[in-house]
Amino acid sequence: MAGSLSGAEPAGGSTLPRPVPAFLRTALHLAGVLTRRILLLAVLLALVFAAVELLPGDAATATSERGESAADVDERRRLLGLDRPVSERFWDWMTGLPTGDLGTSAHGEPVADLLSRPFPNTLLLGGIALLLTAVVSVLLGCWAAARPGGAVDRSVSASASGILALPEFVVAVALVLVFALWMDWLPAVTLTDANGSPASWQMLVLPALALAIPQIGWNTRIVRAALADEAKAPHIETAVLDGLPRRRILTHHLLPGALPTITAGIATSTGMLLGGAVVVETIFNYPGIGSVLAGAVTDRDGPLIAGVVALTGAVLTGILLLADLVRAWASGGRT
Amino acid sequence: MNLNRRQVLWAGGGIGAATFLAACGGGDDTSAKPGKNEKPRRGGTLRVGALGRASAITRDPHSTQANESDYLIISLVHDTLTVPGTKPNTVPRLATSWKSSDDLKTWRFTIAKGAKFHDGSPVTAEDVVWSLKRLRGTPSGASRLPGIKAENIKAEGTGTVVLVSDYPNAELPQLTRLTTFVLKKDTKDSEVGKAPGTGPFKLDWFRSGNARLVRNEDWYGGEVHLDAIEVKIFENPQAMANALLGGQIDVASNVGSVAARTAEKRGDIQVVRRPNDMAMPIVMRTADGPFADAKVREALRLAVDREAMVKQVLSGYGTVANDILGTGDPAYVKDVPQRARDLVKAKKLLKEADFDLSKTYRLLTTEDVPGLAEAATLFASQVREAGVKVKVVKQESATFWDKTWLKGDLYTTYWGTNDSVVFFASKTMVSDSAQNEAGWKNTEFDAAYRKAMATKDPAARAKTLRELQEIQHESSGYLLWGMADGIDLAGPPVRGLPTLPGYGRVQLEQAWLAR
Repeated sequence: MAGSLSGAEPAGGSTLPRPVPAFLRTALHLAGVLTRRILLLAVLLALVFAAVELLPGDAATATSERGESAADVDERRRLLGLDRPVSERFWDWMTGLPTGDLGTSAHGEPVADLLSRPFPNTLLLGGIALLLTAVVSVLLGCWAAARPGGAVDRSVSASASGILALPEFVVAVALVLVFALWMDWLPAVTLTDANGSPASWQMLVLPALALAIPQIGWNTRIVRAALADEAKAPHIETAVLDGLPRRRILTHHLLPGALPTITAGIATSTGMLLGGAVVVETIFNYPGIGSVLAGAVTDRDGPLIAGVVALTGAVLTGILLLADLVRAWASGGRT
Repeated sequence: MNLNRRQVLWAGGGIGAATFLAACGGGDDTSAKPGKNEKPRRGGTLRVGALGRASAITRDPHSTQANESDYLIISLVHDTLTVPGTKPNTVPRLATSWKSSDDLKTWRFTIAKGAKFHDGSPVTAEDVVWSLKRLRGTPSGASRLPGIKAENIKAEGTGTVVLVSDYPNAELPQLTRLTTFVLKKDTKDSEVGKAPGTGPFKLDWFRSGNARLVRNEDWYGGEVHLDAIEVKIFENPQAMANALLGGQIDVASNVGSVAARTAEKRGDIQVVRRPNDMAMPIVMRTADGPFADAKVREALRLAVDREAMVKQVLSGYGTVANDILGTGDPAYVKDVPQRARDLVKAKKLLKEADFDLSKTYRLLTTEDVPGLAEAATLFASQVREAGVKVKVVKQESATFWDKTWLKGDLYTTYWGTNDSVVFFASKTMVSDSAQNEAGWKNTEFDAAYRKAMATKDPAARAKTLRELQEIQHESSGYLLWGMADGIDLAGPPVRGLPTLPGYGRVQLEQAWLAR
């Protein structure tokens, strides 16, 4: 069982003397996956530190003022700990992680403080966008699949391809223009209340749409394709021949079969949603982690960049793990 | 004095919704121009948008403020000893008056009577001394209080602070305008963000770069009209302009000319222009390289079409300049003849200097501030008419400051603190200045600078300052074609916004709302 990557045992029966209980097998498998993902995250963080090191300039020069002499900048470098080897800084930062200490930003603020509000805000925005993506793309995909080759199918597929090619910022600017500045239905930008969260729910609508729309395009195609693949399966043909209602075939036969693929697609979208957040948050002034990241790169702010990567990496790991679980559950031992 | 080079005012990217807004502004013709004799009304909350990056947030008044939003909040809560003014360019704040010794080395600042911290305790000289020493101890301390060692900052009684400069410095009070924020003595680093200030507003709350400030009823500096100011951080000037146009904020601070152009078409938005806000000179290296010959530099100064630069690069929101930096200074000499375009003379000078016209010269620039790269491009096409081939090379910011600044033969630079001729002389033109951008060494200029710094008599000083500027006009490494206006946008009810250049824009204590 060890070393299995797919989450399902090879067909044709086990050669092990005693069958391992299914739940234990799943748990062990998940533990393995989790360990690998955490290791991967650690490697990623090391790469982030190395990449920041390779960029021209460093946090000391990036945050210095014009009047500062070379000696002043060296002093700044010393205060930021940049005079120490990168490996040492990385080790310090990593050993602080388990205690929740994400280090200090180049501007002298605790990274944990800088991320404590923006990160939940991004999760909220990303969560809404993800939910929207999942619901709408499954609905659209099913609608299109209901009559393969029909007018609905063709137009849904065509517009999905068109939409997925749109970059987030185009969608965002168009949404602001139409719904905020022309129609005056929704606020153009997100303002923050005393808690650091968006001041009203209306402010979430446009950013969430801007993030979700390109992903809906992408996932609708995946759903549609997965349903089409599933439709070729013999048991579906049997069901159709048996004269089962179309809707029942869709909900009881097609969708469960296509679920692993759909889940994987949506899980992949999580990464893209978080990536798109960098752009969308800037356009809507949304108080999230994307804008923090963009600025941190400009400032060569290693600890801050790593902090963002660690948090988003942890979320992605969680989501992918969840997707694995869904897949394992949906395939139900089937291979 | 220390416009932080990271003061990213990244206004401008022409894309975005506001560009289209002209179409949807409506035909509202009601002028937003405030009446002249209106009496300030008390009350109301002013919502101000200010640029800043969430990653660069800092609460410490003595650290480097890369965010305008942070600087705005800090300057409303904490006072500096002096503040920017129009004429003179340094006016009292926490220090009501100052006096120098005859040698201009020792300066005594008197602290305002009745000045109190927000917790009610009086401001003493000890607090000021402690704060100035703390400021001096930061990495940028030496550039913020140049020539003043920490041990030469002392209290005299409870109401006087004495600063002793290493050298005569006629402009020392000017150095105390921007960063000398006063905290209570022994404020812990971890408590700085919540520490009481002495300013016109008290901090109500701060969250992720946004803050609410409420009126300080006991402010020693006069009556404050607004009940509260809410500062909203914006990373993107376009989003800030959208928020203003959509009525979500009342003021978009330092939003830039692109937004202004859009707003001009809407009668209900006030466009506040703050002249002499930013210099974006082209630097020609004088120490060596192809521009070392003064004739070549003169030729380039004559080849540039200044009006066209102002019109196209700054959308007209600016003024033509005359190669002398410090245009906002009351001591700036306006009667030095304005250099105008003269291609014939430029070509003649290039010939005399035996300038190699077959070569293509690189002009290095960044996109740090709006208009900078555009200025370089337009300049390149203009000097081509004088036969000089220039290729514009855009560098990523960090690379530019690392590799090009102070070293390049031909590059663009920018300064957001333009109100003093001596500021530029001391920072960028005196032979041994740390940021001698053009590698310029001129003994006459150095002598004039030293004399100006050590002259107390206003008339004699004015004469020396004139000499200083004439030498600069004649032979420095700068080609200053124009000055960009600072631009704020404001909704209809806003009154009393500052029109000062640079950081004068944060002085919102006189603002009020006519509604």
